Amino acid sequence: MTVDAQNKAKMPHLSSDKQLTFIKLAVLSMAAILSFATRLFSVLRFESVIHEFDPYFNYRTTRYLTEEGFYKFHNWFDDRAWYPLGRIIGGTIYPGLMVTSATLYNIMQFFNITIDIRNVCVFLAPFFSSLTTIVTYLLTKELKDEGAGLVAAAMIAIVPGYISRSVAGSYDNEGIAIFCMLLTYYFWIKAINTGTILWATMTALAYFYMVSSWGGYVFLINLIPLHVLALMALGRFSARVYVAYSTLYCVGTVLSMQISFVGFQPVQSSEHMLALGTFGLCQLYAFTQYLRERLSPQNFELLFKALLSTLLVTLGTATVLFTVTGKISPWTGRFYSLLDPSYAKNHIPIIASVSEHQPTSWSSFYFDLQVLVFLFPAGLYFCFTKLTDANIFIILYGVLSIYFAGVMVRLMLVLAPVMCIVSGIAASSLLSLHVKDIEPKVEKLEKKKKHENNLVFRSEVGAVFVCVLGCLLVSYVFHCTWVTSEAYSSPSIVLSARAHDGARIIFDDFREAYTWLKMNTPQDAKVMSWWDYGYQITAMANRTVIVDNNTWNNTHISRVGQAMASTEDKAYEIMRELDVDYVLVIFGGLVGYSSDDINKFLWMVRIGGSTDRGAHIREADYYTPSGEFRIDADGSNTLLNCLMYKMSYYKFGLVYTEGGRPPGFDRVRGAEIGNKDFNLEVLEEAYTTEHWLVRIYKVKPLPNRGL
Amino acid sequence: MSIELPAKSKMRIFVVFLLFISAICGSTNVDTISGEVKIKNVDRIIDCSSQLVKTTSKITLENTGKAPLKNFLLAVESSVKDNLSFLGVKDSNNKDLRLSETVVKGYGDVRFYRVDLKDPLNVGSTAVVVAEAVLTKALQPYPTAITQQEDQLVKFIGNLYFFSPYHVTSQKTNVILNTKTIESFTKVKPFSQLDGTLVYGAYANIGPFTEKELSVHFKNNSPFLTVSRIERLIEVSHWGNIAIEEKIEIEHTGAKLKGPFSRYDYQQDHHSGPASVRSYKTFLPASAADVYYRDTNGNISTSNMKVKKDSVELDLRPRYPLFGGWKTHYTLGYNVPSYEYLYHSGNEYLLKMRVIDHVVDDMQVDELVTKVILPEGAHSIKANFPYPLTRLPDTLHYTYLDTQGRPVITFTKRNVVENHIQDFQLRYTFPTIFMLREPLLVVASLYTLFLCVIIYVRLDFSIHKEAHVKAN
Repeated sequence: MTVDAQNKAKMPHLSSDKQLTFIKLAVLSMAAILSFATRLFSVLRFESVIHEFDPYFNYRTTRYLTEEGFYKFHNWFDDRAWYPLGRIIGGTIYPGLMVTSATLYNIMQFFNITIDIRNVCVFLAPFFSSLTTIVTYLLTKELKDEGAGLVAAAMIAIVPGYISRSVAGSYDNEGIAIFCMLLTYYFWIKAINTGTILWATMTALAYFYMVSSWGGYVFLINLIPLHVLALMALGRFSARVYVAYSTLYCVGTVLSMQISFVGFQPVQSSEHMLALGTFGLCQLYAFTQYLRERLSPQNFELLFKALLSTLLVTLGTATVLFTVTGKISPWTGRFYSLLDPSYAKNHIPIIASVSEHQPTSWSSFYFDLQVLVFLFPAGLYFCFTKLTDANIFIILYGVLSIYFAGVMVRLMLVLAPVMCIVSGIAASSLLSLHVKDIEPKVEKLEKKKKHENNLVFRSEVGAVFVCVLGCLLVSYVFHCTWVTSEAYSSPSIVLSARAHDGARIIFDDFREAYTWLKMNTPQDAKVMSWWDYGYQITAMANRTVIVDNNTWNNTHISRVGQAMASTEDKAYEIMRELDVDYVLVIFGGLVGYSSDDINKFLWMVRIGGSTDRGAHIREADYYTPSGEFRIDADGSNTLLNCLMYKMSYYKFGLVYTEGGRPPGFDRVRGAEIGNKDFNLEVLEEAYTTEHWLVRIYKVKPLPNRGL
Repeated sequence: MSIELPAKSKMRIFVVFLLFISAICGSTNVDTISGEVKIKNVDRIIDCSSQLVKTTSKITLENTGKAPLKNFLLAVESSVKDNLSFLGVKDSNNKDLRLSETVVKGYGDVRFYRVDLKDPLNVGSTAVVVAEAVLTKALQPYPTAITQQEDQLVKFIGNLYFFSPYHVTSQKTNVILNTKTIESFTKVKPFSQLDGTLVYGAYANIGPFTEKELSVHFKNNSPFLTVSRIERLIEVSHWGNIAIEEKIEIEHTGAKLKGPFSRYDYQQDHHSGPASVRSYKTFLPASAADVYYRDTNGNISTSNMKVKKDSVELDLRPRYPLFGGWKTHYTLGYNVPSYEYLYHSGNEYLLKMRVIDHVVDDMQVDELVTKVILPEGAHSIKANFPYPLTRLPDTLHYTYLDTQGRPVITFTKRNVVENHIQDFQLRYTFPTIFMLREPLLVVASLYTLFLCVIIYVRLDFSIHKEAHVKAN
């Protein structure tokens, strides 16, 4: 910045070239700073704290990595989760995020900057979004020009679709993965444009970083081959593309296989087959080109046909054979649900139960992208008007990601950057088109008198257009700020509400309960809860959990679902079987917190009933005869006597929650509970937080004999 | 009770001790019990109303010997010597008397202290001294586990008589309980029970080393909070600020909670959980600013701060109420301006700060560790403590812009109470020129950075000219 300040002082003496550099630098650095600053709402409003669920796992593993070193981390068998199975952490995560923050932490420690590892984790995502801003500029500059790059950088700095996953405290893979993805694209475009091995290798390195940090790399390794295929189909395949792709595929695949969670997937699973196939095709294509130069057309035709048919047949049989023998792993459920949105709902309740795996609604496109939705088609138009290898790539990326974002809310994240890039191109092209018209206003008026110009209102139209676009962009800024502050900056671990007099009330019940567990239960206590809270319990309470957010074992989760959905004595058997000491439930009925366990209960029933051992649990039993899910006196008997109901509403029947309502009025469901007067036989209340949000029960030991 | 008293006037004494006139030499570690000392009268107050047992004994000494009396001995019986946290003696002018531990041959398991009188006591005359003692963990919860609704009952077992190696002519003991709910107590006539207080005595002519059990079983719902460990970090900056951070582990050491904790009962009825601790007050120095209260899971939002004339009052509410056996931990930090605690003349500095500060009223601290981080470059460090402390080896601490590390002085003590809130002194030498080191470091590194950028921008480092042409 000091350099900038110096420049500013000398501004009048600078050549226009240097002035331009200075303006570019200023805009870009302001965009980068803005993208960091706009993500700090939650830190300013609450505190520097990790958000949500998954970030707590990442935070815990990062802490482990910094304390124990990389090799211990790599070989880490975690006995705190999935009791009694445990989990091999080192081999089942993408370590890029943890390694990144641990590296940053160690570098800072080396320079005696004694910053806490928690703060490194909290501010990592905003820091990386600053970097993303810069990479977006570089990428768009490659696609169009510097002006478009600056607009795109400014847009991505505040786009809500990306902010939703990268606010301070949202310490998740996506926070750095978007940066890696765009970096890979940038290097890829560079490699395509130059055809040098250097840029292709850089692409492979960036791809390796991407693989190490997010499972979404599959999108990338399908998009790039698609780009190559499209170039082939359009007759744009050249030596540059050949060099770029061959280098990327070989180096990138070998590197990606170093991540133990990925392992041999790049050569086995069907998700990676497109990349492999394209690689083969590239070689064949290059080989044919070579032969075509050497052979006579007739001989070539014959050879070509024979080779092609043999190849297709061999490939087809091999694929079928490998799929049947299981060498090529079947497509995973998450991927199926990308192609067929209803797949997950029908087949895998555990995937469907996550709200971020639901199809996107139209309104959320506008909510997350606002003006970009309208600029995007214009941008595509500009891309098509001047078709280059790079533009084809961005068109492909845009269209594909629109489809995927429509399938799964979560993938809005992948769409947001391309929306910004294409809209940046559109806004920049439109503006430069029309600003030209307004500028020489005085000269034009003079000229107009001499020459009759048929575009009479050229400058007025230009001015109006620039004004309208300016207004749109300003409204975009306001919209983004509003969305960020209202929707995406709540840590969800601390809740806040407004009292009648406007004062802010803070519900800090989650941390209250987790701290209680940590301090007042035996070190080896096992806590059963629905899987949503597993990561938080292990990270904040440091206790063993039965299931957590890494939903790798469906039967285990199903067992917990069965316990929650059964009657007390049936549940007791399951809890004894799983060695449970404490049970934790989230209950929002007192303060009106709607994402509590009763509202998630139907998923527990569905998942619980989805395995053989839970076949006796039928969803229909939990509805009223008319098919409603009710917790009041009309509710089904099975529901009113199941463990989850009892744990949520124990002693709640005595509490007055709202004026003019009977005691035991549930403020979330808006009904008086149906089963008030009951006692717990096998559990005892161990702790309930101040606002009853978290209730912890202790499983009683077996009664003594003879009593 | 205020805890803001000046340090020296805080001395109190303990119940059981011995008066002794050392007729022989004054300063060896072995003393003998002189037969020429008599205690004419003892008025003893045993305060059991908090979690501590505080004893104040007003002793009238008489010199029946032939030479003036320079010093005498106090004794502590073996059964309570591990509980004794603090012992102090004052004369009739409220001046502290010098106290040193000693031994007497033949009484191996009794602990003796020698007290030096300000003025020698003349033959045949009398003097009044006040001995104060604080015992920790002398009140045992009985029963050891109670349910949420029950009151906490504790048992105190002490000595009915004033423990003394000498003949006590007359003595009286008041036991303050602050409750009418007394389950049982030792009945040795004459005694009486006034509301909240038991009065024993006067008993006449009790011989040396007489022990008789005094047992009281009564209701005590005062907070039984034990600070199991406190780590106090004092970071001195010569730029005008002293940062203090205390890492505190606290446990409710009263009767354990038996059975369930019912939030419903706890919210409906404010008499529910009488023995639990909902919140407590911590007093910080009046100049304390930027106070933070957090734990490993983040900020604890339930606290209030009140700035008073002579202190800052913090109303700390743990994340959850503390019942018997429940623990919590937190970090409390604040800044104070250094001019109040740091004095200097030239390059010589003197730091005067409290060894430990107030955590909770009537606190008992199992383990105290105090660390003082001095600025980088401080040397010739000399420490001066108000009472015996264990000094641990010095270490180095590295933080922002440090190159050779800041010296860290560490000392520790077990079994600490409020009476230990006293100042320690740390003298050290710090050349003023060292103040410029850190700004110069920043300037130099920025200068180098800009120089590198200038060189990079101005000179061409490429081996050959760019040959690639961007092709579309």
